[in-house]
Amino acid sequence: MKRPSKTVQHVIYGLMGVALGFSLSRIGFANFGEVHHMFVFSDLRLLFTFAGAVGLTMAGFRIFAGGQHIPSKHFHPGTIPGSVLFGTGWALTGACPAVAIVQLGQGQLAAVFTLLGILFGVWSYRQVHSQYFHWDRGACE
Amino acid sequence: MTNYWPWWLGSLALAAITVSFWLLLRKPLGVSGSWASIVGWREARAVARSEAPFRVNAAAMGDALLAATLAEFGEQATLQSLTGSGAGIPSPARAVSPPARAPWTVHLTFLVALFVGGLAAAVISGNLSLHLTLGPVYTKLFGAGWHSWLLLMLGGTLVGFGTQMAGGCSSGHGLSGCSRLVPASLLATAMFFGTAVAVSFLIQVLVK
Repeated sequence: MKRPSKTVQHVIYGLMGVALGFSLSRIGFANFGEVHHMFVFSDLRLLFTFAGAVGLTMAGFRIFAGGQHIPSKHFHPGTIPGSVLFGTGWALTGACPAVAIVQLGQGQLAAVFTLLGILFGVWSYRQVHSQYFHWDRGACE
Repeated sequence: MTNYWPWWLGSLALAAITVSFWLLLRKPLGVSGSWASIVGWREARAVARSEAPFRVNAAAMGDALLAATLAEFGEQATLQSLTGSGAGIPSPARAVSPPARAPWTVHLTFLVALFVGGLAAAVISGNLSLHLTLGPVYTKLFGAGWHSWLLLMLGGTLVGFGTQMAGGCSSGHGLSGCSRLVPASLLATAMFFGTAVAVSFLIQVLVK
């Protein structure tokens, strides 16, 4: 498949972003209370949503992308410690990298602080990675 | 109180987005990768600039490589390896130029669009109002004011640092990876979800 032009990429990424932001908001993934209740298992709706999404995506890939090579992420020494740090941050802020932006869109101004933190975290990881860690990140293929 | 989507509708929406993202862009959905390319825009620009002359001369470089291969290994061996490689016209240059990435401005469009999506959802469902907190549950657990903002900044830093270190987040590892049973993604998702569960229970115990 030929790569779409830059303008077309802006349009597609833009439409996908709006769809994802809208959905995350209407699901309740951008509501700290809903997310916290998922993590302490007092409300299983979001858990079902996520599990259902994984199952349906699996079926969707089989049906529409069968036989296509989709790049996969590989295990490296950062997988586990990175995930533990991310999990801690998710529990504290109710936000993953997409959700913090959606929270702000909903009018929750406190998410600005989460976003500042994410920016600093991403920036500082890039600084230490090149100096101390030597595995292939493969994050942005 | 907001009326959120039932779980099956949410699943359907997330799955449709994840699958169509791949079908339209031939890239797995992953939001933390967009953050990485925006924060690293300077490096991306430097790489693009240094690669530009190679892209312009890709055909010439391919010819030069082919000529060098012919000179080194002889016509017979070269033709064998070329025809043996299978369908299509062999392009030695393809091995030289790395797969093009979406420019960082496209990723910025993606993140801004997430904001627009959240805003549109709030407006359409009639829930748009400005708050300085993340809602009643957050305020009950962490209070309001500058110390809660400081905590959000700390948590955000962990999210940013952690997702970069783990090479993905709930979209890249969780949706794109788990749906294809990628081992590293299953492990990462189990670890970040498990940690979030443990920390959330700990917070509840500490607050009570």
